[in-house]
Amino acid sequence: MSGAGRRFSRWPSGLLAAAGFGALLVFAAFAPEFLPDPDPSRAWQGPGEMPPFGADDRGRSLWVYATQGASILAWPALLAGFVVALLAVFGGVVRATGAARLDGWVQGMGEVVGALPRMVVVLVVALIVPADSRSLYPLAVTWALLAAPGAMDEAAAVAERLGGSRFVEALRAHGYSAARIFLLHIVGYNLRPVVVRQAAEVSMQVVFLELALSYLALAGDRPSLTHADSVMSWAGLLSQGYTWLVIDMESGHALALGLGLIALVTGASLAVSHAARAR
Amino acid sequence: MTRWWIRPLVRLVAALLLPVAVPAILTLLIWALPGDPASIICPPETCGGSAGLAERWHLDDGPMGFFRHWAAGALHGDFGRSWRMLQGVEVGELLAEAVPTTLVLLALAGVPVGLGVVGAVTGRLPAKADPLFHVLGLMPSIVLGLAAAALVQLEFGAGAFDGSARWARLVGGALVLAFSDGALAGAVTGTRGLFSAEARQRYVGIAVLRGETVLSNTLPNVAPALVGQLRARVLHLLSGAVIVEALLEINGLGDLLWGGTIWQDFGVVLAAATAFAVLSAALLVVQAVAEVLVALHVRRAPAVGAE
Repeated sequence: MSGAGRRFSRWPSGLLAAAGFGALLVFAAFAPEFLPDPDPSRAWQGPGEMPPFGADDRGRSLWVYATQGASILAWPALLAGFVVALLAVFGGVVRATGAARLDGWVQGMGEVVGALPRMVVVLVVALIVPADSRSLYPLAVTWALLAAPGAMDEAAAVAERLGGSRFVEALRAHGYSAARIFLLHIVGYNLRPVVVRQAAEVSMQVVFLELALSYLALAGDRPSLTHADSVMSWAGLLSQGYTWLVIDMESGHALALGLGLIALVTGASLAVSHAARAR
Repeated sequence: MTRWWIRPLVRLVAALLLPVAVPAILTLLIWALPGDPASIICPPETCGGSAGLAERWHLDDGPMGFFRHWAAGALHGDFGRSWRMLQGVEVGELLAEAVPTTLVLLALAGVPVGLGVVGAVTGRLPAKADPLFHVLGLMPSIVLGLAAAALVQLEFGAGAFDGSARWARLVGGALVLAFSDGALAGAVTGTRGLFSAEARQRYVGIAVLRGETVLSNTLPNVAPALVGQLRARVLHLLSGAVIVEALLEINGLGDLLWGGTIWQDFGVVLAAATAFAVLSAALLVVQAVAEVLVALHVRRAPAVGAE
């Protein structure tokens, strides 16, 4: 396939990724500040009776769950992806410059940061965040910093396979500027697939992290570690849907919506990685 | 080449420091936050006055005094008592129950992951199966964990934790750990990638022409990286164990850490995080020993008979 043909083949993935993340941001933008008043007469109504997604056990629209959940996690997840992308680019560029001492320090720091299970560090951070200012942001950034060494390692391996500092010297000999070498050839052409994939994966992991932490808090009837009590996470959908699984409540539509939203995030993450893959 | 011992040495030093550094940093964090540590750990509206609490928990001696007292107790197996989660219960007792449970869970989860690694090394797991593992690995632990919890609850009831129900929770949790969040997929593709890259080296081709096997030539050279990957997999499983244990109500270390965090029980979190640090340190030691053994093996001169 020609270069133009291959570029064209990435369009569907790019469009899918844009649609997925766009939907997430639109949901977040439409999130109401507070939960609506309960209406027990509409409890467990299906999507047909209460469009678009049906109602929860108190007759509140599941649309609110979808939008408020998106508002909790959309920006922190994107921020986490951005942090990982930035650090991965740093790791790749350091290897490409051939700065052995700095490279050694980066690897050493990666070993130290990666020595503990991520969830342990995340929970410790959650513990020290004051209860009245809880949000997903500190946990997302912590997760990103813990995931960064792997991304930096992979980006550095790509830069090494490229030839490292010899590649840079060769392009300099052709008269290319430093900006063109590093931004276009190293980051744009070579590191891009790794950096984008790692960023997308970490964004997805942050979404799953929020879901898990919020679900467990809900199950334990404790305040969430990631958001204020006035806001409902997507974990609420899973929690409501779980009753359909175990005690046959009429909440299958809540579970379907929760799983659908998870599939949306997973699909968008895969699509963005596919769209950024190497030619 | 002459400094092959630096990496294992750094790992050993890190392994020694980790169990001390984790509780020390946690302690410092509490003092670094604005406000009185006793009030942060247990707000006055919940625990009453903070002066008495500070004295009882040795918080009035400052961070160093508190840490000295806690570490001296911990060295003798005395981790103090739970402050909020299970008020008054010895944290050491909770740890004694939790650590073996988590180790069993990890061992069970290690079975499919280990089989996957062996299958990838020996080629019994074809590369064609990788997309299937990849798709399975996309499942988050929260989703698979909920499915496993529902199955256990339907089969044994919500309040069943002993006998068969306990084992069902452990096996279900282990399968969730192994298959979710890309644990098995990462282990299989990572191992396969390592070995296939090494197998393309010229020396392997020459060895095969001499009648030697690919595996006997590649294994010593990929062993350090393989051990490193395996350590990362175990850390991944340990991290996932927090969610899985809490979801499936398995009384393990992850569940203890989760309970301590959600109840803001600093005493429990301090002990549980330290136990996780000890496990991580043990993994670092294993990796360092493996690296040393491989380095010694690779550097051992081949025996050549005298003419």
